[in-house]
Amino acid sequence: MKNNCRLCWPRRPTERADRPVAVGMHRLLGGLFIGIALAGCSAFGAKPWDHDLLAERAMQVGAYPIEGSMDDHIYFSKEASSGGRSFAGGGCGCN
Amino acid sequence: MQLASKHAANAGVRQALAAAAAGLLASGHAKAQEAPDPPPSTIVDSAVLVYHEVNRVQAIEPEVNVSQKISEDSTLNLGIVADSLTGPTPLGAVPSTFPQTYVRPYKVIPLGTPVTVTTASGGSTVVIVPPPTGAKSQTLAASTIVPPNTYPLDHGFYDRRVAGHLGWEQAITSNFKIDGGIAYSKEHDYRSESANLGISQDFNGHNTTLSAAVNYESDLSFPIGGTPTPLTIMNGNWKGPDTTLHEIDALVGVTQVMNRRWLATLSYSFADDHGYENDPYKIISIVDPISGQPVEQLYENRPTFRRKQSIFLDNKVHLTSDVVSLSLRAYKDDWGIKSLTADLRYRWQIDKQFYVEPHLRYYTQGAADFFRYYLVSGVALPQYASADTRLAKFHAQTYGVKFGMPFSENTELNLRVEYYDQQGNGSPAGAIGQLQQQNLFPDLKAYTLLLGYTFAF
Repeated sequence: MKNNCRLCWPRRPTERADRPVAVGMHRLLGGLFIGIALAGCSAFGAKPWDHDLLAERAMQVGAYPIEGSMDDHIYFSKEASSGGRSFAGGGCGCN
Repeated sequence: MQLASKHAANAGVRQALAAAAAGLLASGHAKAQEAPDPPPSTIVDSAVLVYHEVNRVQAIEPEVNVSQKISEDSTLNLGIVADSLTGPTPLGAVPSTFPQTYVRPYKVIPLGTPVTVTTASGGSTVVIVPPPTGAKSQTLAASTIVPPNTYPLDHGFYDRRVAGHLGWEQAITSNFKIDGGIAYSKEHDYRSESANLGISQDFNGHNTTLSAAVNYESDLSFPIGGTPTPLTIMNGNWKGPDTTLHEIDALVGVTQVMNRRWLATLSYSFADDHGYENDPYKIISIVDPISGQPVEQLYENRPTFRRKQSIFLDNKVHLTSDVVSLSLRAYKDDWGIKSLTADLRYRWQIDKQFYVEPHLRYYTQGAADFFRYYLVSGVALPQYASADTRLAKFHAQTYGVKFGMPFSENTELNLRVEYYDQQGNGSPAGAIGQLQQQNLFPDLKAYTLLLGYTFAF
């Protein structure tokens, strides 16, 4: 049983004795990553009183939803790719 | 089903994700104003699309979305779309220097019913398929003759679709929102049902939004003439029973206010399909190994699974008065398809009540592992094969311009005209015999006209 051999897999993470440490490390690293990412994001941004331009319709994410969905409709029907801006699936077997 | 769609669910999700980002931005905007106007309780977004492929499919598609504020924290979204499509569409077969005849099932009638119709849609001739012994019904088939040196098209293609979606957005706190919805789409040969759920969380003083959403979709395919057995010879007999396709989608994204003028969105989407992935109307030719003349036509066969991934980056930058938008998408799936998409829009604000927005889009994709222009007689059949040129290697460009007239913050009339041009390799290396003289990838050119009107009260 290769998977049970400590020489072959001495740090098998699913073993009971290792699990709390491994899970703890993953949580720590995950939390650290998210923390760094959010801290990085905090270096950007605008003060609330500077959101005037961002509040215009042209600056909104998906400002023209019908236009976006119709574009997705056309490109989904004529190309092999889908998804990204929204879900990849959704209603026909065109591709 | 060929061109018909989809995306009722996507429209709902896009609206919800947009609302999440818009909400955080508007919150800042509200603080920037001395006496902000109360937001409208109802927003109606409507549009009509006219789609015209040169010598191919024509379509018209009206759509209406209504967003109704139920309370300070909740919004109901309702959308309905219908479309009608007709016109020739590629069969997947190769052209020949001889006339070719294609026969497909058209209708089932009780045995003994007098047949008074002699032509089917697209000008095909109706033929009666001899019923098996003891059968109580018989099949009518449509027979189409393709002239020599002509790319084979299905002239009988038509579709009607009605779709709708219902969604709900709920702000739990000023920073946390949840949304969900259901969608339904029905065509004469396809039905789709889906449900989605999403969350979004703001950070950094409403400058960062993390969002996540999932969608489950269940589709039923019931093609005209039944579901063909893959890689069997095309004929006029009635085929197999309905088939299903199930798909799970997940999407995570971050929207970041970079500075006063720059908004960026980065998202990753993942989709996992299982079920019937074939286009039941598509065929692939088997050609003679010397002459290249088609000797048989088989129904295509694609894998019954597909895993799709994409990364999407969108940037919007507010210049002095104009807005430039640039989005990039990288896509790949386990069919071997990889693609890149770049989309650039420049909103030129002529004055407060008129803008012009030129649009450029470039798209390039590689072929699916199992794409073949044709198969060769005498060579063992592959497990999967499709000659659908949408799975081939090609690139495409879109050129467009939009004219918009915003009458107020939530009222706008706009008109968009676009031209789509797709080019692939019509003369693949190693083409056999007469196929060297044929165009195996007929270019696709399409025009779209989109008229949109949004108003609020």
